[in-house]
Amino acid sequence: MSLSLKISRFNPEVDREPYFQEFRVEMAGCQTVLDVLMEAWRQDPGLSFRRSCRSAICGSCGVTINGVPRLACQTLIREIAGHNGRITIQPLPHFRQLKDLVVDLEPFFDSLKAIVPWLITRWDHDGCMAPEVSRRMEGLASCILCGVCDAAFSNPGGTKPAAFVKGLRLAQDPRDVLNEARLHVMQVPPVILKLFIKKMPLVCPKKIKIPEI
Amino acid sequence: MLIHEVLVVGGGLAGLMAALTASEKSDVAVLSKVYPTRSHSGAAQGGFNAVLGEDDSIAAHIFDTVKGSDYLGDQDAIEVLCSEGPELILELEHMGVLWNRNPGGGLAQRSLGGAGFPRACFAADVSGHVVLHTLFEKALESGVKVYPEWHLLELLFEGEQIAGALVYDLARAKLEIIRCKVVILATGGYGRAFAKTTNAYANTGDGMAIAYRAGALLSDMEFVQFHPTTLFGTNILISEAARGEGGYLRNKDGERFMARYAPQKMELAPRDLVSRAIFKEIKEGRGVEGKYVHLDLTHLGEELLQQRLPQVKDLAARYAGIDAAWTPIPIEPAQHYSMGGVRTDIWGMTSIPGLLAAGEVANVSVHGANRLGGNSLLETVVFGRRAGQTAVRFAEKQPWASLSPADVTPYLEPWDSLLAGKAQGKQDDSPFKIQQEATLLMTRQVGVFRDGPGLEDAVKRMAELKERYKKLIPPAGKQPYNYGLIHYLELGYLLDLCELIAGGALRRTESRGAHFRLDCPWRDDRNWLCHTISRQGERCPEFSDGPVSVTLYIPQERGY
Repeated sequence: MSLSLKISRFNPEVDREPYFQEFRVEMAGCQTVLDVLMEAWRQDPGLSFRRSCRSAICGSCGVTINGVPRLACQTLIREIAGHNGRITIQPLPHFRQLKDLVVDLEPFFDSLKAIVPWLITRWDHDGCMAPEVSRRMEGLASCILCGVCDAAFSNPGGTKPAAFVKGLRLAQDPRDVLNEARLHVMQVPPVILKLFIKKMPLVCPKKIKIPEI
Repeated sequence: MLIHEVLVVGGGLAGLMAALTASEKSDVAVLSKVYPTRSHSGAAQGGFNAVLGEDDSIAAHIFDTVKGSDYLGDQDAIEVLCSEGPELILELEHMGVLWNRNPGGGLAQRSLGGAGFPRACFAADVSGHVVLHTLFEKALESGVKVYPEWHLLELLFEGEQIAGALVYDLARAKLEIIRCKVVILATGGYGRAFAKTTNAYANTGDGMAIAYRAGALLSDMEFVQFHPTTLFGTNILISEAARGEGGYLRNKDGERFMARYAPQKMELAPRDLVSRAIFKEIKEGRGVEGKYVHLDLTHLGEELLQQRLPQVKDLAARYAGIDAAWTPIPIEPAQHYSMGGVRTDIWGMTSIPGLLAAGEVANVSVHGANRLGGNSLLETVVFGRRAGQTAVRFAEKQPWASLSPADVTPYLEPWDSLLAGKAQGKQDDSPFKIQQEATLLMTRQVGVFRDGPGLEDAVKRMAELKERYKKLIPPAGKQPYNYGLIHYLELGYLLDLCELIAGGALRRTESRGAHFRLDCPWRDDRNWLCHTISRQGERCPEFSDGPVSVTLYIPQERGY
């Protein structure tokens, strides 16, 4: 099918503000928005966007597609291109646009550090864990740190959604010294927690659910 | 100028393991072309082989690996791999890896191809992802300095000794010099040299090519693994775990055709054998629609798929529009892994003092002519740790090279002028065209089945493509995130490696493991039980033979 794209362009060296560039590409409906971007890049090698695995495991290609933050490689054209074949691609919101679709990830990775994002192993851990305990954490551990949730909703001044998921996964780990004490450190007020629980499965590319705690 | 004692290039499993190990005693930095969690290690699905059960034994793991390698693996290195595996798996467990468990609370293990025992520890079918993120967390804890989205351009020397690295910061579009005593390459493979590959866009063999250009010896480059089960069309990986959990391969008649090729191991024969079997079925008219075969998981049940193979189920649903619980998945083989790489000893040291390598970029060689599923992830942590240890020892006794500004200038000048160049003018040729032609050539003529005339033609045409590459106007300009420039550089690396792969394959007139020649379909131990060593010559690569370490297992016929 024939698609008409609007892609947000911005080069801080020359542009005062972002603008849209239009592209036309031919694609099959079963192809992805990442395929679309690769084709646009062939037309204009100056276009910048992150990508790598193309199978929704590396988390590089988070962008805003027709207004919704998602992974380009996981978004099929037939899911989002209406009858008119129009697709608008912008950088993730709530992140600073550095160049075209590339955003500043430093604040995102810094936000993880605040929750002590590593296991502090108990001295008496014997290497065993019941399968059902382990299974409970699997969903949370499938986070790929793509940043799509942080782009979709926020917790001003508090722990951001992706950091919260990691903190929660560690808080449920019986091997961890801090364990449930992590929940108090993270400071997510009940009303925000409700928002996280409601919104996360809707926006997360890995469909992570935040359990009631 | 930045200074670190040890510079690790690559933030995947091998790189992070090396960095964590070295950081206990040295000042370490990790330079990575993507944020570490986005490394391709995270896409590994099946598991880590390690002997944990009492019914299993290290000797059995060694034997399976040696046989899997078609006797080209170095047995001293394989002994290291298999004996250091178990303690590392438990160490990873203590770091926080969420391994799947058996009912008793110990680590669950599954069968992967070519193994005589279910010995792959796993985290559902996202094993690489879970371990990568755990090592990343530990790297944050250890305070290892990370330079994300920085690219290695060139190794710097003082005499024969490594003195540092010339690197490029993609965000600021700036060249930097990092002085160091040791460089550890952990840059992974070159999957993008092939049109059909499971590999990420980032897998362009940068470290291998840069080491080669700096004069390091590479080995066994003709041995390229083709994974049997990738989604037809997109070549997205469908884990070997799918067969490990009981999946069947079927041709258009619904027949489990592996009975013809590996009557004992069936679907769990090694990957080289299964990939050849699939293509043979297709060639002989038994492919579905003449193009692919089916991976059938429909008898496994929804619950098992959800628990053990959730990613496989998701990938099939999204990219093939199929519910794997009810419909067989169309699959075809595609390039997956590089057995060859920068030649190292069992401590990760390459032929250049101070240059180390670990993981897929390296050839130590534990995989020989064919890698077994579950052994590459194991290799990353075992030899990543060893490289970290070696780096510390080397840095302790090695004085700093002086590396004055005058030493650096000749390295900087060509890169400076490349970056300062004007935006590209009109040209008929482009990196995209050259890459498309080169990768199609590799898939068609240097793929699962090869022959003399095809390889000869590939070598000749690759040289022509390299000439065309030299004439390209580099996409210069100093804007940030200049992926056009990166693509241009990556294509240069790939073309160098393609030349080595095709050249090595043409030279090796036998069939062994993943290297199969229709014009010489037999293994020839008398002439070819040797590594192919390659080095950069004046105009083209120079090839020679290197000895294989044979300690316990004398080569014998390899049946499954």
